[in-house]
Amino acid sequence: MPDAKRPEFTAEQLDEVRRLQGLYPDKQGALLPVLRLAQDVFGYVSLQIEEYVAGLFEMSPAHVHEVVTFYTLFFQQPPGRHVVSVCHNLSCHLLGAKSIVDHLTQRLGVEVGETTSDGRVTLLTVECLCACEQAPMMQVDDRYEGLLTPEKVDRILEGLL
Amino acid sequence: MSVPVTVEKIFTRNFDRPGSHTLGVYRETGGYTALPKALGMEPAAITEEVKQSNLRGLGGAAFPTGMKWSFIPKGSTAPKYLVINADEGEPGTFKDRYLLERDPHALIEGMIIAARAIDSHTGFVYIRGEYVRPWEIFSGAVKEAYDAGLLGRNIQGSGFDFDIVVHRGAGAYICGEETGLLSSLEGKKGWPKIKPPFPAIKGAFGQPTIVNNVETIAAVPHIINRGAAWFAGLGTKTQGGTRLYSVSGHVVKPGVVETSVSVTLRSLIYDHCGGIPGGRRLKAVVPGGSSAPILTADEIDVTMDADGLKAAGTMIGSAGVIVMDETVSIPEALMVVARFYAHESCGQCTPCRESTGWIYKISHRIVEGKGRKDDLDTILDVAKRGAGTTICAFYDGAVGPYVSYIEKFREEFEALIPRDA
Amino acid sequence: MPKLTIDGKEVEVAPGTNLIEAARQAGVEVPHYCYHPGLSIAGQCRLCMVDIEKNPRPQIGCNTQAADGMVVHTQTERVLETRKSIMEFHLVNHPLDCPVCDQAGECWLQIYYMRHGLYDPRMVDEKVHKPKAVPLGPHVILDAERCILCSRCVRFCDEVTGTGELGIFNRGDHSEIGLFPGKTLENKYSGNVIDICPVGALTDREFRFQVRVWYLDTARSVCNGCARGCNIEVHTSRRRVHHNQGRRLARIKPRHNPDVNRWWICDDGRYGFRWIDDDTRLLAPVRRANGKDVQLGWDEAVAVLAEALRRYRAEEIGILASPQMSNEDLFALQRIAGRLGIRAVDHRVPPRVPGDEDHLLIRADKHPNRRGAELIGLDQAETRAILDGARDRRIKLLWIFQHDLLDSGLPTADVTAALAGAEMVVFQGPSANATSAGAHLVLPSAAYVEREGTFTNFQGRVQRFRTVVEPLGEAAADWDILGRLGRALGGEDPAPVATRAEQVFAGLAGQVPAFSGMTYRGLGDVGLMVKA
Repeated sequence: MPDAKRPEFTAEQLDEVRRLQGLYPDKQGALLPVLRLAQDVFGYVSLQIEEYVAGLFEMSPAHVHEVVTFYTLFFQQPPGRHVVSVCHNLSCHLLGAKSIVDHLTQRLGVEVGETTSDGRVTLLTVECLCACEQAPMMQVDDRYEGLLTPEKVDRILEGLL
Repeated sequence: MSVPVTVEKIFTRNFDRPGSHTLGVYRETGGYTALPKALGMEPAAITEEVKQSNLRGLGGAAFPTGMKWSFIPKGSTAPKYLVINADEGEPGTFKDRYLLERDPHALIEGMIIAARAIDSHTGFVYIRGEYVRPWEIFSGAVKEAYDAGLLGRNIQGSGFDFDIVVHRGAGAYICGEETGLLSSLEGKKGWPKIKPPFPAIKGAFGQPTIVNNVETIAAVPHIINRGAAWFAGLGTKTQGGTRLYSVSGHVVKPGVVETSVSVTLRSLIYDHCGGIPGGRRLKAVVPGGSSAPILTADEIDVTMDADGLKAAGTMIGSAGVIVMDETVSIPEALMVVARFYAHESCGQCTPCRESTGWIYKISHRIVEGKGRKDDLDTILDVAKRGAGTTICAFYDGAVGPYVSYIEKFREEFEALIPRDA
Repeated sequence: MPKLTIDGKEVEVAPGTNLIEAARQAGVEVPHYCYHPGLSIAGQCRLCMVDIEKNPRPQIGCNTQAADGMVVHTQTERVLETRKSIMEFHLVNHPLDCPVCDQAGECWLQIYYMRHGLYDPRMVDEKVHKPKAVPLGPHVILDAERCILCSRCVRFCDEVTGTGELGIFNRGDHSEIGLFPGKTLENKYSGNVIDICPVGALTDREFRFQVRVWYLDTARSVCNGCARGCNIEVHTSRRRVHHNQGRRLARIKPRHNPDVNRWWICDDGRYGFRWIDDDTRLLAPVRRANGKDVQLGWDEAVAVLAEALRRYRAEEIGILASPQMSNEDLFALQRIAGRLGIRAVDHRVPPRVPGDEDHLLIRADKHPNRRGAELIGLDQAETRAILDGARDRRIKLLWIFQHDLLDSGLPTADVTAALAGAEMVVFQGPSANATSAGAHLVLPSAAYVEREGTFTNFQGRVQRFRTVVEPLGEAAADWDILGRLGRALGGEDPAPVATRAEQVFAGLAGQVPAFSGMTYRGLGDVGLMVKA
């Protein structure tokens, strides 16, 4: 993966940045999509990336930092290869989210917010992912996984390499 | 158990049809037939039709849609934007996800019609960042629509141009608030904007903007096709159509239910969702997303329309119904909800920023058995004092559960507070 | 013009005026934190709630424009209760560390708590912890726990300087003000964020812990740092002389003048006052002969200079006036030069390096009264010609005000030759420098804060500055020294003896057309433009 400490987009990626910027009446509208692109490319949004992106938008780095620290989906530190985000909001709480979290912390040997020592999984708890009909549920990378039981969680973990 | 009243399905009519997200299936079932009709109508006539239909915003605020559209300044040559709020985030709500995944073309067709009504040539669909699959499916539908000449320049030879930009959020509940969403769309933190100016005058990128919910706009093609009178006739005097209820928690069949806007909460739980599992008793229901004040088991004979719920001291909100059986600890539920509001407060206005965190700390302490005898009155007083003092409705939404959970289940809280505290 | 009623008082205001400003005009104070007239409306602090008749809920005054016929109440039970609540919210996570906070005494949390709060605190849980004592730049230090997140400082850097260094990071009650990690706040106006911070979050690294603000005295003045002439307040520590490390001047704050500096001043102006209390100051008249310094009394010193001015012919005398001198000083000097027929007079000594300039306040010309010197006519010759004359021994008496010619844009060799060529070099100014070190007669001037007077800024605005502290040692105002000199010169002097700068100014107004009709009273606090 390209170095997040010395970020530079490829010519192709820069074309994509310009395309995204062109979609909005003011190019700053593309800040979230471009940060997401950067995170996809570099793995997380380092301070160096924030400054680099600020340059692409002719913005103050402080205002990019505001955005990165405001939203939950930007990682300021490298996450594990997989991110498991368990919903602990009301419907999932009613249907046992806590036992799912407890099961995961025990199986992964990490606390919520931590990454396994082999860098495989980062475990998070999150607010409502709006899939309450599948409660208790969690997001595994880009997938929603619902109607969780400890057994189902184990099967899902087995698939995470 | 009574038999549910049969209501014509509008939003969900195709939900179970394979390939319902594709242009082909959408067309087979009458899709994109409202569009040529609307493109042949005067913009003002479209707005009038929507006004007559009694369509109200289905995202939470229930504002009359046609009236909202009419706030766009007449004759303004400024660019105008149509923004779709697909930042579904209200706990207990998931119906927009179903629409994006199972009927995306209804939203696209509705957007083109709405854009024509407000003279907009650019629409933004703000999809919450966690919704990866809905984003993929919706983006695919947008591409299909472009390829079929339904989007872009000179749509179907009408001379009308309209583009859709699909924008993804990055994880913040407040971006479901319409002006927080606009700030976020502009590439900023999702801080709601002070009003005035209102978005219809000065919204996205400083231009006149209409923000509508997914479900609201998905209703528009049906209104144009079958007429305002038909749509209005499906509902109550003040709200036309049907609506989608997201039902979750302790019910046998959780899921999205399309039914009358005035169905009773009891019917929704017992007729549509199979009642409470395991023969357990109902304890409480949150009827309209986590921000709606809670109802006790003996308050569920209310109708779910605005008047019915208002009379019961609560609100329809996003129609996210969360059902709690007798095993639920209400103090724990309050702590969970308070944690959510503390986590999601954007931090802009002092009352909300400071008291959401404060109330969470108190609620957490109570659940841990470290409550103090003044705690409950402090929460109630702090919540009530902060209500109505902030830029947006987020804090008022938090006050709903803070106050109602304690007022309706006070003994349960008091039982957790040590006597010598 | 909308006419409205606020607390029963009718007031007519300009269209677009918000309710905080309209109330101010009606003599009613609406408490607020985030609103600042020089910044955009944020509407975040929620303190400026007022009741407007026919409105179901109190509204924020900052974002509500006055409308004709509006009836506003700022003292209803509901408004008072709302204010009390908002004050409690502002203080939920505040550390309440007033005893060790440098803002104490001028903190709007303290002031408004006493006026509008007075609730019994109910917060018993652990407060949110944030970074403390974080230096942001050379002048500003942050305590994020004290911050009420009003965003004034962020808006200042975005909207006034356009530098955008500050942001509010995270969200909810973990929101905090800060810089991009690793950056510093060092724009040329950074000190203003200290002024506009209503609480103890942003304090002044130089001023903090030097003296408690309630021991300070204040005088209105005008910055002497450049041709802008920003309006300032000078704060002095005279009641506890052992505080502030014995220095009299404690700090400079901007004073609002809509036509000159609005609410702001630059950091160079704000922090450029240390010389006033430092040991380069000249404290007594000194005559230097045969390598020995002899301290003189004023009568003696003035007599020495008068004798020299009589001894040389007018064309043998050169004067380098300073645009640091006030209109009164320059006018008094002009009168003497005129009486004696001295024509080799100039005020234009080029700086060693060209001054910086920007589009906000800072002017390249680092003198406050260039325009006054021009209008009074102290530029009949060229500085270089005067120095050439001294080098060539045509000019025998060189009378230099303030300038350090040896640290200027003039070639050092030329200056050295001129100083060596003159038979007598007189230096008059508040501080010693390399040029004064070689002078035969040194006359100590009072610094601008030690006397009163007026400067004419680059726009032609004549502005008063007041006496802040007494002159150090024997130093005296230049107009006063020059008045004594005029009397010592004997002969006919039509001007009455002046004992106050105001009298000299009256003479100036009577004789120089640009100033005609002006009086100190008429100048007021914001000055007047010279006649075109």
